[in-house]
Amino acid sequence: MALIPEYRNDVPRVERFNFLARFSHWGHTVTFLLCLFTGLVLFLDGVNWLAAIFGGYRGAGLVHRVSAVGMTIVIIIGAVFGFKGVIEWIKDLLRFGMNDIKFIMLFPLEFLGFPVKVPPQTRFNGGEKGNSIVTPTCVFLLVLSGYIMWFPAIFPVGLVRVSYWTHDIAMVGATCMVCMHAYLGSFHPGSGESFWGMWKGTVRADWAKHHHAIWYDETYGDKSKSE
Amino acid sequence: MANLANLYDVSKCTACRGCQVACKDWNQLPAVIEPFKGNYQTHEDTNGDTFTIINFFEYEDPVDGVRWNFIKRQCMHCLDPECMKVCPRQAYTKTSWGATLHDPDKCIGCQYCAAACPFDIPKYRKREDVITKCTMCADRVEEGLTPACARTCPSGALTFGDRDELLQKAEARAKFLRANGFPRATIYGRVELGGLNNLYVLTDTPDMFGLPVNPKVSGNITFWQDWIQPYFGWLIPLMLTASATSFVTSRILASKHGEHGEHGEGGHE
Repeated sequence: MALIPEYRNDVPRVERFNFLARFSHWGHTVTFLLCLFTGLVLFLDGVNWLAAIFGGYRGAGLVHRVSAVGMTIVIIIGAVFGFKGVIEWIKDLLRFGMNDIKFIMLFPLEFLGFPVKVPPQTRFNGGEKGNSIVTPTCVFLLVLSGYIMWFPAIFPVGLVRVSYWTHDIAMVGATCMVCMHAYLGSFHPGSGESFWGMWKGTVRADWAKHHHAIWYDETYGDKSKSE
Repeated sequence: MANLANLYDVSKCTACRGCQVACKDWNQLPAVIEPFKGNYQTHEDTNGDTFTIINFFEYEDPVDGVRWNFIKRQCMHCLDPECMKVCPRQAYTKTSWGATLHDPDKCIGCQYCAAACPFDIPKYRKREDVITKCTMCADRVEEGLTPACARTCPSGALTFGDRDELLQKAEARAKFLRANGFPRATIYGRVELGGLNNLYVLTDTPDMFGLPVNPKVSGNITFWQDWIQPYFGWLIPLMLTASATSFVTSRILASKHGEHGEHGEGGHE
């Protein structure tokens, strides 16, 4: 079985993520991973070989801060220029319903590769909704606590102390989600076209119909035409 | 080796600040000039180039009238230092005789220790991006000398020596003070925070000298160091293992069910 299904141009495709969403996604990927590996240097209490990759502990600290600023810029660009997209994203998250609960309950089986029949999903399925809530929340906490730790002199010491464990918890939370998300968005056989949706922006229409029936009907199907 | 400590007797101190000068001199610390704040204190607080400072406090007591308290502040060299626990670079070490040393070459300027210290002692030196603090003149003590501050004190307020002997001396002095016009005289540093290597004889309660009466490591720091750092991170390898398991099982199951399964190419039912 191929790691990722082949990208095919000869079948009908529909847009799933616009350029700004993809820029934001991959911008976060690069800056998050850089921050993660430079941050683990301290979290794991002195991993010399990991620090050496970034030019020692001070080098890792510099990369951490530069990436953190990069991530902040990506967030700002995404939120300002992609404001409409963010609102649509949040609107879809608010449609959390029975179909999502059923999806999450069936998900462990689907995850391991058992064939399951899940109810029709909106643009983001139950699991994606969970990821869309947990990861950005963690990132928001990471950014906030990160800047407080960076400039402790201008914040009350109590807030700085809270930031230390907040930064750690948010890091572990986000990293756990990223571990799952990276796998589910690429090599998981059940995810099929998801990778191309974020890489090239389009997915196969038949895949969209099968995996996100409600979204497909509303955006590209009969419902959208009748409106 | 027995613990060596510095005993500071408030009742003998004249606030000449010779200790501050001697400290700067021995540790080759540049002068830090701060604007006049309307009292005798030279600096707002200890800073990256000032390891010790005499703090001044004025109180108006309804019975005794105006009280002018001063006290020498520097690193307490705790027997169980929190700075050492939180430092992610192991820049802190404890000498066999009790000094808490900080190695600026290992320091990366994260300032975790500055937030963790219950006495607010480690200070950030911006121009070098490192933390600095009192060394108890370890370089002098290990050559058989006494710390610069204790060596220079003209009034005998500072005594350097064996901690147990100094504690006895301090007890006796506090007892004497209590009987001679300072009923609230007390000692500080014997039990506080599990014991300090800087002992104090105070003429009044610790809070009158700006010292925490019952110093405690912040619960936030304990929670972070004792719960989050050692255990919480294990969730990450757990998630990685889950993904790796799925990678294998989903492929095995897919080959059993055949490639036409619902996830196969594009997901036809």
